[in-house]
Amino acid sequence: MRSLLIGDNAFIGVSHLSQSTAREKVEKLDAGAIVEVIEKAISFGASGFTFSTHPMNLQILKALQDARTIKAGFGLYPVLPYAEGYVRITNEKGGIGLVREVLSRLTLSGKVKAVAKAGISAMKLDPVSLLRTYVDMELESYLSAKPENTHLGAVLLHEVVTDLGASFRTGRLFESFMQHVHDSYGVRPGFVTRNFVRFVKFFQDEGFSLKDVAIMTPFNRIGFQMNPSRESCEACLQHLSDGNVLAMSILAGGYLPLNEAVEYLRGIPNLEGIAVGVSSKRHAEQTFTSLRTLLES
Amino acid sequence: MGILHSGIVNSLPDARIRAICEKETLLIRAARALLPKTINFYKDHVRMVQKEELDAVFITTPIITHVPLVVDLARADRDVSLFVEKPLAGSYEQAQMACDAVRSSRGVHMVGFQKRFSHVFQKAKQFIESGSLGNLMFFRAYSFSSDVLREGASWRFRRAGGGVLLDLAPHLLDILVWFFGDPVVLAATKRRLYSREVDDYVHAILSFETGLKGHMDACWSIPSFRLPEISIEVHGKNAMLVVTDDFVKIKSNKDGGTRSGGSQMYLKQSFDTCVPFLLADPEFTREDETFLSAVHKRTMTDPNFFNAAKVNDVIDRIENSASS
Repeated sequence: MRSLLIGDNAFIGVSHLSQSTAREKVEKLDAGAIVEVIEKAISFGASGFTFSTHPMNLQILKALQDARTIKAGFGLYPVLPYAEGYVRITNEKGGIGLVREVLSRLTLSGKVKAVAKAGISAMKLDPVSLLRTYVDMELESYLSAKPENTHLGAVLLHEVVTDLGASFRTGRLFESFMQHVHDSYGVRPGFVTRNFVRFVKFFQDEGFSLKDVAIMTPFNRIGFQMNPSRESCEACLQHLSDGNVLAMSILAGGYLPLNEAVEYLRGIPNLEGIAVGVSSKRHAEQTFTSLRTLLES
Repeated sequence: MGILHSGIVNSLPDARIRAICEKETLLIRAARALLPKTINFYKDHVRMVQKEELDAVFITTPIITHVPLVVDLARADRDVSLFVEKPLAGSYEQAQMACDAVRSSRGVHMVGFQKRFSHVFQKAKQFIESGSLGNLMFFRAYSFSSDVLREGASWRFRRAGGGVLLDLAPHLLDILVWFFGDPVVLAATKRRLYSREVDDYVHAILSFETGLKGHMDACWSIPSFRLPEISIEVHGKNAMLVVTDDFVKIKSNKDGGTRSGGSQMYLKQSFDTCVPFLLADPEFTREDETFLSAVHKRTMTDPNFFNAAKVNDVIDRIENSASS
């Protein structure tokens, strides 16, 4: 195992244990306090930060620019898009409103000149080229806020997009995303999925190489969000020798004690790393101290 | 919701999306470019069922269009099964029209009250029905979200969209009806916060046959609720129960409720959370599996149109009480 990543759930008010707890915690955390948590995690072995393109994470990156504890090689692993943000737009403006909003943002970003020239209604939709442009637009502000000493570890697609794509087998879109991330950013493309077995099968059926991508997916003792079952996910991982899987939800959304989570992971082969959320400096110290034993074992 | 259900259904064994009906040309273009070529697109729903051999249709359109679509589809194909996103209709009268339309149908019908497929709400129902709470005294419940923090432009915010009562509250009302039966609406009030044509907040006092009384609030304009959340707190003479989307907790009143071991807590992780394919919460997958299984076996399922119509009845009575 090579990497221990800090997850952003606690920083943006996500909790799988209780939404009321998440609301209380997030009220206590501003970007400054979060930077202290991240610095503590770094001092106890965290090697990267994985985050969705939520506005709070942009503030965090900007605040991290002044942090002195970031060591060279600290990795950033953005996950895009921030799905809830788009659900909100759909609620406000409807499905057609969402499409228009995204196209409008692309136009305003100056990245799609054709849209501005031809007008949205007359535009010939090419989702593949739009996806590339969309990735650039979504990442731009986060990359410009990238603190010194950090590097881009991977660019990951959010689980909703990944899993929908796998359901409809939209291989061309995945291929385009992978090519673009590789060519434009010089890093591995990545996929977050809560349907690990199906995702791997889809990838193999399409003839894509799993070796060149990062896969972030839940692994925990109780099988929380491991679909279709814990056993099948474990068996699937065992057959992947590429070592490019990042385990997330290791605490099953806060349900499992840390020691049980670590003991379970000790028996899981082929993991590249772990992503875990922490909500306080004490929590960061305990969590990364325990997880570091996995790196060293 | 159409994207969600189609993504799930397309991943379940023995199920495939064959056709999509959409009126917006831009959305059809985007979907056609993205989705497999085996999926056919239509602008006319009747033409779709006439041309395709469909086992079932998912209706995930604006609420006001649900019933006209149900009537058309049931008339065009007596064998087709229908799934309608919640609520069934914009009014009780409309809901009855939907029920009439499927009465002689050979297909099955279901409404998307997916909270009934959540293990925590199922456990809460078991506790209530077991009588372990003792005589039920009162309840308080809410359904909150941050969906509306400014005037919106979609159909939800037009008068016919029905506002928070028709859009957000139905899940909570369905669970209350499922738990306790049909309520009497004792009083209700509502108010607009951001929307010009619909209400953003509603409050109702309800009374059930058992004597249980309580109140419910629904508001879609609370910024701190990143995700929609339901909470129901029921106080019985022996114990109190709290159920949310995340957990169910029961606390004994014995020894003033302080006796250790007097409370039981079941988080959603306490249950088997695995599903064949996960695209939101697992209850959506379980809901779709239940519907497709009923379609396959041609057996009546729940919540069907007849039961879902009760929620429209309660909604109308709350609306009438709040308006009077």
